Amino acid sequence: MTDRSGEMRTQGMPDASAIVLAGGKSSRMGRPKASLLFDGEPLLVHIVRALSHQFSEIVVVAAPSQELPFVPAMVVRDQVAHQGPVGGLCYGLKAIGSEVSFVTSCDVAFLTSRLISYLLSRIPDCDVVVPRWQRLQPLHAVYRRSVLPLLEGQLERGELRPVHLFDRVRTCTVGEDEIRRFDPHGSSFLNMNTPADYQEALSRWERLARSNIASSAEPPVTCTVQLFGVARLLAKTRAVSLSLPSGATLSHVYSALGATLPMLLGRVISPEGKRLSPGYACNLNGLDFVRTTTATINSGDTIFILSADAGG
Amino acid sequence: MHGFHGRLLHVDLSRGSASWHDLPERRLRAFLGGIGLGTSLLYEHAPPGVEPLSPANPLIFTSAPLTGFIGDSLSSSHFALELKRTGLDAIVITGRAPSPVYLSLTDGHVEVRDAEHLKGKSPAETEAAIRSAERSHGLRVAAIGRAGESGVRFATISNEGRHAGRGGAGAVMGSKNLKAIAVHGTRETSVANPKQVDTIVDALRERSLGSLTDKYRSIGTVANLAVFDRLGTLPTHNFQRSTFDDAEALSGETLTENHFSRRHGCASCTIRCERLFRSLRGEEQRLEYETLFALGPLCEIRNPETVLEAARLCDLYGMDTISTGGTLAWAMECGERGLLPETRRLGLGFGSPEGMLAAIPLIAAREGIGALLAEGSRRAALDVGGESAYWAMHVKGMELPGYDPRSLKTMALGLAVSPRGACHNRSGAYEADFSGAVDRLRGDRGRGALVAASEDFAAVLDSLIVCKFLRKCFADFYGEAAELLTHVTAWRVSDRELRRIGERINIVKRLFNQREGWRPEDDWLPSRLLTEALPSGVAEGVGLSASELREMIGGYYEARKLDANGFVTEARLGELEAGVEPCQATRHGAY
Repeated sequence: MTDRSGEMRTQGMPDASAIVLAGGKSSRMGRPKASLLFDGEPLLVHIVRALSHQFSEIVVVAAPSQELPFVPAMVVRDQVAHQGPVGGLCYGLKAIGSEVSFVTSCDVAFLTSRLISYLLSRIPDCDVVVPRWQRLQPLHAVYRRSVLPLLEGQLERGELRPVHLFDRVRTCTVGEDEIRRFDPHGSSFLNMNTPADYQEALSRWERLARSNIASSAEPPVTCTVQLFGVARLLAKTRAVSLSLPSGATLSHVYSALGATLPMLLGRVISPEGKRLSPGYACNLNGLDFVRTTTATINSGDTIFILSADAGG
Repeated sequence: MHGFHGRLLHVDLSRGSASWHDLPERRLRAFLGGIGLGTSLLYEHAPPGVEPLSPANPLIFTSAPLTGFIGDSLSSSHFALELKRTGLDAIVITGRAPSPVYLSLTDGHVEVRDAEHLKGKSPAETEAAIRSAERSHGLRVAAIGRAGESGVRFATISNEGRHAGRGGAGAVMGSKNLKAIAVHGTRETSVANPKQVDTIVDALRERSLGSLTDKYRSIGTVANLAVFDRLGTLPTHNFQRSTFDDAEALSGETLTENHFSRRHGCASCTIRCERLFRSLRGEEQRLEYETLFALGPLCEIRNPETVLEAARLCDLYGMDTISTGGTLAWAMECGERGLLPETRRLGLGFGSPEGMLAAIPLIAAREGIGALLAEGSRRAALDVGGESAYWAMHVKGMELPGYDPRSLKTMALGLAVSPRGACHNRSGAYEADFSGAVDRLRGDRGRGALVAASEDFAAVLDSLIVCKFLRKCFADFYGEAAELLTHVTAWRVSDRELRRIGERINIVKRLFNQREGWRPEDDWLPSRLLTEALPSGVAEGVGLSASELREMIGGYYEARKLDANGFVTEARLGELEAGVEPCQATRHGAY
């Protein structure tokens, strides 16, 4: 289906996979990080979706009985729960089919594809490429599968931190100056450990979405919104046409729709008009179900607003 | 014991005898109630290879007459609650009474009573007559209609306007000359920690009133029709198309604006998803999406009045509306293509209200062409021969529900592998297709794990008896359900244990089918779906190839840890501590 994330699929990395470690306890967050809603979808799905523009193989490593949202990736389970990042790394590297893997965690919402590409480009000369942003970032790093026996040895000895590996293999460190060429503010390393981190990340995401639209000077786009079910009964109309600035995203569609049909606010659209209420879904042109609010809209698009539940 | 009575009643109608048996706590914990316990009891009480309509076939969750495989069917509301108040967790009914009877069950007392005078009555009339005769306040009745009496293979068991609809449980009941079961009890079920249960239930009730259930509270399942049309997944003209020109005329939105009468719900429900619509004649009729699609677009019926009347007739006689519509659509196509000349005499063709309304009573009475159609599309096609099997849209003998598998590939797999046939309720496989997390137009091996997980989830919901329309109200279903079950039973159940129970139930279902002669080719879809691409709508040109389906099925067997051909292994049974004897695959003539 059409990629509506707003990012282009970058050059294929046929020999590289991505591993997302999702099996942490989320104890400081107080609820599972993988399921935190971010941009209208579970955080884990958001991360996997971002990675899917760059990697054809993605593996999610989860704890043995961990509840996960539907995720378009292969899911493998730790054989023993909570063995830290080294445990997750081992199970992930065993599952992937490539020699090289980009490894990340399930609490980073601002991955930068250009930085990831750069890290991958450095792997031919070493076994691990790890960025240093304030400190070494082993959960935003590239690993060769050949390090697996060493990691398994660490696991047996109870050395659960990946940094112990770095002295034993050819490790290439990427410094802050290099990182800034691709990610000026180091957003890639903003992980979420507490509810406050989560709120800050949500605010940052909205600011980014607003600045993207404000910087646009292209001609406006016209789209049609078709309403179904409760939305149609409330609005007493089947469809409305909207004119939006170029580069507009679904978030702007919802705002404009709320302004045109205010009876939808608080019921079908969230009260602040930025997203759909839980239980509602958006489909683009009858084909793609889109859960993010940042998907860009093209002229001529038809947007269906419907119930997210198709039970009959 | 908390949460259960630990008692089972076995009634043998041939002998007119009843016996009470203990249900060990270990078994209840392994299979819970509902579908799970029924599956376990069926495996124990059904003699291998039993004929669905023979006296020996137990009526619990039966070997369905429509499919010859496992037939479980759910019906909500007060009947089940009252049954529990009699002090029982299950009833097993075997044998065949010499003349029509009904069972009257009050607390620990059971009587077999004459029902000759109830013959031919609808479930609702039967219910009213028994309530009036028994003069017992709080009595609840489950009954069959004329279709059950005459052995229509998709007859329902009905209570309070609700129906255990799919698979023909009503025919099994009719084959035992059992017209109804009346229950009344005064025994409370002991709950280990009632205060904690109340707290959890209150929170769930609160969540059930939010936007997650808005569709079901505000418009009902009929909301699906217009959306499915736009998404190219509304089965039309016996699956020749997946879009319908007159979708707006039959849409849930139009019905709500022009015909809405009132809402109704199951016992204590906050959602109350049932919708009653009023016809021009002033009669109220319940309508769900599946009924609307099957008696509407599938048969090219465009007029809401006809659908309402056809649905009323199905309820009157006690027949599953999906299989009724599916079998009629098959007959219409036979007529369209020059077979089954009786269809022309009856005026039974696509888009013909008169033909449809004339055919339904004939099916219920097994008269004329109705005798053939009462067998369901698979058996009827075997009888008619020629190309007619190609037009019979069923899996394992059960007619397909209203989701076109070609434009919902995860659902395609769910329908193909479901133990009870083409069923949209024993898994919510379509959910993945509607989530945006997978490509709904292209299948892959990974769907296997999604479908297996969805089936396990549904098995636990259907065994605890939690409404599927509440499923999205849980942040962590297994964790929350385990906590709730722990407070009811004092068992200290974990989320992991609940997941295993879901797996165990589904494995034993497959094992039951295996004992009844299941073969790998039974996990498959009708040839039309694998041959013809969709001709219209957003999914125009999209088809489903045999290799695509095979790949998904392979992924499913892998995820279920079955052998490469889909058979349950002894190792898997042991791993799940299923507590049942493994069986060799047999072929007892499931058709």
